[in-house]
Amino acid sequence: MKSKKSDPLSTGKVYAAAIGYLRKNSAIFIPFFIFFIFDFISLAVLYLAPRMPLKLLFGPPIRTFWGEEFLHYPMNFLLLSQLSSLSRMVIGVVFGSLLTGMAVAMISDVYNKKQIHLKDSFKASLKRYFDLFAIVLIFTLLFYFLQKFAVWGLVKYFVSGRQRLFFVGAKLWLGPGLLCLNFILAAFIQAAFVYAIPFIIIGKNKLFKSMIKSFGLFGKFFIRTLILVSLPMFVYIPISILQSKSSILITKFFPESVLLLLILGSLISSLVIDLLVTVSTTCLYLMNEEKIGTK
Amino acid sequence: MKKLFLVFIVIFLAVVIFSGLGNDQYAIEKRFWGLQKRAEKVFTNPAASPPMELERVAGLFQAFIKKFPNNQLSLQSEFVIARLYMVKEEYDKARVQLKAVLDKYSKSQAICSEAVFLAGNSYEIEGKWGPALEQYKTIIKEYPLTLRGFSTPVYIAQHYKIKYQPDKMITAFQEAIAHYRQLADKYAGSPAAYQAEALIAQCYMALKDWPAAIAAFNATIEKFKGKVPGDGALLRIALIYKNELKDNVKAKQVLEQLIKDYPQSRFLKSAEALLKEAGGK
Repeated sequence: MKSKKSDPLSTGKVYAAAIGYLRKNSAIFIPFFIFFIFDFISLAVLYLAPRMPLKLLFGPPIRTFWGEEFLHYPMNFLLLSQLSSLSRMVIGVVFGSLLTGMAVAMISDVYNKKQIHLKDSFKASLKRYFDLFAIVLIFTLLFYFLQKFAVWGLVKYFVSGRQRLFFVGAKLWLGPGLLCLNFILAAFIQAAFVYAIPFIIIGKNKLFKSMIKSFGLFGKFFIRTLILVSLPMFVYIPISILQSKSSILITKFFPESVLLLLILGSLISSLVIDLLVTVSTTCLYLMNEEKIGTK
Repeated sequence: MKKLFLVFIVIFLAVVIFSGLGNDQYAIEKRFWGLQKRAEKVFTNPAASPPMELERVAGLFQAFIKKFPNNQLSLQSEFVIARLYMVKEEYDKARVQLKAVLDKYSKSQAICSEAVFLAGNSYEIEGKWGPALEQYKTIIKEYPLTLRGFSTPVYIAQHYKIKYQPDKMITAFQEAIAHYRQLADKYAGSPAAYQAEALIAQCYMALKDWPAAIAAFNATIEKFKGKVPGDGALLRIALIYKNELKDNVKAKQVLEQLIKDYPQSRFLKSAEALLKEAGGK
């Protein structure tokens, strides 16, 4: 009987390689930690937005878009999740793109057994900043609008008088259903775009070529990529559920628990999810490149 | 670069410390919220909370009032203290507190009316309707143009309705109508008069005197033509014709008038649906 040859690019092997790199090269954490710091600062600023002197800057837009009540304690905590998610998007596009590029360059160096130089990785990323910025912007906007569209579609569907969609009522669809839908959307969109940054930084491809190649690689490793992207995201599900219940947190515990939850969410998102997704998918990209090269 | 980063950190920390330590409105709200949480424990289980706890919480609110005398939340605190005494069945203390509010805010009719109303409530909970009624009549007499002043005559009538005293209820509604009519004449053409006219119609509806209610609604529309849109009143008239007097022809006429006179009305959809039901277009 012939022994079954194990797949060199299996999910387990990719994770083993990724974790091995992280254990030996803790410097890979740095870009993700820097991102967490940016996110933390933005959270601190948003938390203090209803207070002087920051109220002078943030008061008018909050009053205009959401209402005066959100500038008062403890109502401001009800808006904090939404504001932090918006600020995270902006930080992700402006700084996250650059820092992810930097991380990908570092992983590539580790993979090729080169010494990691933070400055060189940063420079490599900075050189392609425009492309990185554009790709993260496209990805973020696509996710944002699809998410909005899903909410709009569901609300419109149920407001028109229909009771059920696929045997499920409005309450379930607009609560846990939306959470699941957002999770699936996030997983698929991220999986489709996840190789674009390695293609830009390592493959030295142009913006649109890297996007198309990323879709191609996602197609090639469809299940594997989905697992690599969505598995770490499962850690965030309890945080998402608690975030959607901010009002309960405020009344049953204390308003500041919303802030603590957001900090924890940011920590998990930056130092677990983004880190694992970036390192593992870049590893898969590099292992695939090597395999093609040696064929 | 390093210097720039350091400058940024220093500015950020300064803003955070400055914002976090200030005694601004937000800080006052935060403190008030903490007190409310403590009061909530007494409110949710008054029997289980010891008298010491009540005094402690009331004392905290008093300290808050002393510290921020001009803040809107201090006024709320005054009422919270009174309510705390009320749930603990210490009605005399509640009324002393409300009397203090009355003296302190004697210039504000709205605040005074609320304080007197709560004092009336305290008698009512205690089972003393006589003194409660006295307090409510004081509101009607002294603060007729406040929100509480407007609603109290109907409140008295509703009390008799709940207590199954129809004769007293009818008398109370009639007294309310007379009171509102007096206000409408005295302040003719003003928003207060409009409010009074609308309440007259509501009292007639409560008495199930449908022709009088229709006449009152029509009088309101007539008196405030060009000042206040009469679409709401027309819809009410149509509903009375359709549901109470079972006169679909008249209901149709009124609804058609509503649709014609107020094509932008927020009641348009309801009016069209009712017209369909009444056998119209």
